[in-house]
Amino acid sequence: MTRSNKPVLHLPRTLLLAVATILLGFLAFVFVAYAINLMQFPFDYDQGEGFELIDTIMFSRGEFPFRDSDVYPFYASNYPPLYHVIAAPFVPLAGSAYWYGRLLGFLATLIAAAAISYAVYRAGRNRWIALLAGLAFLASNTIYHVGPLFRQHMMMVMFETLAVILLAGVNEVANRTRRRWILLLGVLLLLAAGYTKQLAAFTVVAVFAWLFIRQPRRAVVWGIGFGVAAAGIFVWLNFATNGEWWRNVIAANINRYNLDQTIGLYRLWFSLHGLLIVPAALLVIYELYFDRISIYSAWFVVAIGVGAASGQWGAGDSYFATAIAAMCILSGIFAARTLRGEWAFSANYVSRALIFPLRRLAPVLLGAGAVGIPLIYLLYGAAVFHMPTQGALFGDLARVLNLRPNTDYAFYDSAGRIAGGYADIGHFTTQADIDAGWRIVDQVRSADGEVMSEDAGFSLMAGRQPVGNPTQLLNLWMNGLLDSSALIDMINAREFGLIIFRGQLYPVDVLQAIAANYERYETIQMNGFEYLLLRPRRP
Amino acid sequence: MLSNDFTFSKRLLGFLFALLGAVGFVAILLIDVFDIGREGGIGPSQRIALGAMLLLVFLGLTLIPLGKHPA
Repeated sequence: MTRSNKPVLHLPRTLLLAVATILLGFLAFVFVAYAINLMQFPFDYDQGEGFELIDTIMFSRGEFPFRDSDVYPFYASNYPPLYHVIAAPFVPLAGSAYWYGRLLGFLATLIAAAAISYAVYRAGRNRWIALLAGLAFLASNTIYHVGPLFRQHMMMVMFETLAVILLAGVNEVANRTRRRWILLLGVLLLLAAGYTKQLAAFTVVAVFAWLFIRQPRRAVVWGIGFGVAAAGIFVWLNFATNGEWWRNVIAANINRYNLDQTIGLYRLWFSLHGLLIVPAALLVIYELYFDRISIYSAWFVVAIGVGAASGQWGAGDSYFATAIAAMCILSGIFAARTLRGEWAFSANYVSRALIFPLRRLAPVLLGAGAVGIPLIYLLYGAAVFHMPTQGALFGDLARVLNLRPNTDYAFYDSAGRIAGGYADIGHFTTQADIDAGWRIVDQVRSADGEVMSEDAGFSLMAGRQPVGNPTQLLNLWMNGLLDSSALIDMINAREFGLIIFRGQLYPVDVLQAIAANYERYETIQMNGFEYLLLRPRRP
Repeated sequence: MLSNDFTFSKRLLGFLFALLGAVGFVAILLIDVFDIGREGGIGPSQRIALGAMLLLVFLGLTLIPLGKHPA
């Protein structure tokens, strides 16, 4: 197909692009405001952030968080170390605080978005579409609420994205030395992604499968090198932790599966991102039948498959973050190519049956694309729209837009929070939440005896030893890898002066022991969650 | 295949997809043959996986006629 240069379409196209940019730019502003809000919040926002902080503190002391959970303080981590190692230098400077972990997650998200823009610009040579592709990534509901957390997920996505973009053109690099340096850096980024979070293993599979299709020899040689390096680190970690690395990071991570949750999250993912998924999928099909398969297509297909794991206990919509990154790149390239009218269809049975009969319509289709592409980004912005509905700026805007909260908080989220596994976060924290957190800390400080909490932040802020990592204890227990007798003995002996529940996530036998020996005496609301404060039952 | 110039053609990739899909389809069916203690026959997850394998076979078959074009 040839390029359409109808001046009559320039104005509507430019206007629509401008409106789409304003809408997606506004959602990026909401993302930045949300990140700044969370960085000022001194407690757990998403359950488990405090345990990531404990991992970071342990690494700053040169200790591994892969420990025996059968014994006091019943603590172990189930995540690989890199994110916490990167955050560890902040501990001597800023102490036990959440802001630096959230800052790292936020920056990683921004870097991933910038890399997506760069990849789209490099392939499509359209600055505006490149900008929209990066903004589309930040605008995604999933990326929005996971990005600025004290969690390693977005750093993994950042390493994956950088690796894939770096390796995208490696086979075309003629200079052997330069090609090897690119391959080395790409493989190191993949290694970094894998040791940030295990889920990156699927991106590794996609990258090496693509390399194998393009040049099997190169894939085998570099695959062996990658495997040796990854296995070497793995064996060293397992040796250095007396096998606790394997027990906690691998064996304990095989959890019960809920197919309904997976199906619900796939449907939600498509309903929110469908406007960009369709062009991304069309580009994959185009490459399959009319062009060479790009690394982005291989990555996208495998990343969609990763969503199948989102039904695991402990998983959720963040498992689609990698697919969203790949989707933004592919849909951006599709958009840029459509605007430039650069589609070329080689003659084969598919083009003869489906494409060539439409040749006469090519100018009309390209004209429709010139308006349709910015419209797609505009409608995508509407599909993923989310914002707080109170506060100085957002409250006024919500009133103007007649937007009412559709969550339990002062927050509108187009996702509607109907799918199981969709993170119930994204709302802003308030001064009342901070005050409530300090009230809980006061209770921890005045508790007589040990304190066990499902959020680690209260113990950390009170300067007390955090005890237990509830989700990891449950992971271990569900896989038959936990001997909870020592913990239950402490509970039966009522050695804990205070136990704090947020989601009652401990193993069943631990919860039963707590129910037999402890009683609730106060409930404090923070971030919309009810924190149950339990003390020993009176004899 | 391990020469510096070798790359997959659409046809070869098609054969590979068809083969992987067929092997995967049979392997998923065999789960029930070997895991005889389970009840309920082919479950919903298995049905989805079987569908994915059939799709892979179909994709493979449609790529084979594209011949020597590089994949």
